[in-house]
Amino acid sequence: MKDRLLPYWLLIPAFIIVLATTIYPLAYSFITSFRDWDLTESRRPGGFVGVENYAYAASESAFLNSLWVTTVFVVTSVILTVILAVALALLLRRTGPMHTFTRIILILPFAMSPALIGVSYRFMFNPEFGVLAQGLGAVFPALQGVPWLADPLLAMGILVLTDVWHWTPYMTFMCLGGLASIPRETEEAARIDGASNLRIIFGIILPQMRGVILVMAVLKTIFALKMFDQVVTLTGGGPGTSTETLAYFIFNVGFRWFDMGYASALAWILTAIMMFISIWYVRMLLSERKMATA
Amino acid sequence: MRKPFLYLAERALLVLISVVVLFPIAWMFLTAFKQPRDAYSLSLNFEPTLQNFVTVFSDPWNLGSMVLNSVVVATVTVVIAVPCAALAAYSFSRFRVKGRKFLFFLILSTQFIPAVVIVLPFFLMFRQLDLLDTRIALIIVNLAIVTPFVIWMIKGFIDAIPTDSEEAAMIDGASRLRVIKDIVMPMAAPGILTSSIFCFILTWNEFLFALILSRRDAVTLPVGLVSFRTERGDLWELMSAAGVMITVPIFIMALFIQKHFTRGMTAGAVK
Repeated sequence: MKDRLLPYWLLIPAFIIVLATTIYPLAYSFITSFRDWDLTESRRPGGFVGVENYAYAASESAFLNSLWVTTVFVVTSVILTVILAVALALLLRRTGPMHTFTRIILILPFAMSPALIGVSYRFMFNPEFGVLAQGLGAVFPALQGVPWLADPLLAMGILVLTDVWHWTPYMTFMCLGGLASIPRETEEAARIDGASNLRIIFGIILPQMRGVILVMAVLKTIFALKMFDQVVTLTGGGPGTSTETLAYFIFNVGFRWFDMGYASALAWILTAIMMFISIWYVRMLLSERKMATA
Repeated sequence: MRKPFLYLAERALLVLISVVVLFPIAWMFLTAFKQPRDAYSLSLNFEPTLQNFVTVFSDPWNLGSMVLNSVVVATVTVVIAVPCAALAAYSFSRFRVKGRKFLFFLILSTQFIPAVVIVLPFFLMFRQLDLLDTRIALIIVNLAIVTPFVIWMIKGFIDAIPTDSEEAAMIDGASRLRVIKDIVMPMAAPGILTSSIFCFILTWNEFLFALILSRRDAVTLPVGLVSFRTERGDLWELMSAAGVMITVPIFIMALFIQKHFTRGMTAGAVK
């Protein structure tokens, strides 16, 4: 019977797509990363240069700067998003018309194009006529005339803000799903015994949420490492190179300077970082599950 | 009884959250209906106009062709990705194929590949094939991002469907393909619809690929936003009008799947 092969037949179309659109390009850029190929000089790839592209990266200050910028961005954005999402989920798990309304509108920031989010925050923080720049200046006189996006630290802050605004809703939904799956009995028993809300949250709910929070943190880390759109539309990497993340730096090397070999090497460094985190993520999850069943 | 203070604090927080969520969106919508001179003021007392929408759809902006590009790219991507993904998801969900865990992990791990890595080789390849600045190029690269994700999402929905009715039909002599077509797919339809809309949203908002692979003919809406940055400065009222065009269809779809979305999102990641 050909029924035995059916499971494989069903997988084939999807596999062809995945192989052609991800595995092949990955292999191609891996090979390119060991070549010298300046697209402005030649249409054909140049000779192999060993690990020269990688070695160059290790000594180039622009690359090291982008690593630092990426680290700052990822760490702040992950911490803020996860804390806010957990807090929001705890607030929103109750029922009520206002809770439902908030839950519904929460999907909007996530559905909004990140490029557009960058554009609108750029507009709102324009020092002359931006509504947030003006509004903050009116409420806090110390903030009057602050050149928001022209200041390295503030520009990074706003970049983080756009990312937190975009991703917190998604993470809140994930957290709500996790909250719904933990049993309510212990919580109710503690409440009857007169435990305070804070004790219930920190002593009972959060310890049971460890697994979900871990998944959220790792997924958010990966999304933050990939973040690109807002750098283009909000800061353009500036002022100077203060918001030039690794993804944006690779884009510049590849598509502004057309140094394909070097860009491929950089892209593979980013891939390696993300793979390392993913593997670590899977292992953490597995050990977490073992702990849960033990 | 809950303390009145806590009750008030909770309401206040909910209002605050709604304001933080809605304000940037509302401000963009307002600006889209302002005349240029009002766009640069914070006044809420302005004469609304539809002129910005007329302007963005006429020369030199031609938002219409970008809308068409976005619609075609997103629709074709969904039409190719979702059926293939649904079949694969069924196979992953129901059969114990050899190496299944490895294959599934392989598919999932492609999600963790940064888009820049994928776009570099495609840029070179499309340049060779003269496919730069075409919708086909955009569809191909979008499939890379969307397909693994949709497999994962639909698998979550199929996992939740009990196998009883499938087994009953097979005992009655129905073939596996028939079972998939007549029993599983109708039951999984809400999930598949949710995944399709999700896939549409991802493709619609996609920016990096379109920025690199399109110049003029295949430009999609998110990349079109950048063109309102001119030598005269940023034309905010036009950008906002274009922003409204990008968000309205997506917001309608997102609100439509909101309930399922929450579930679909959590099922895969948490379990």
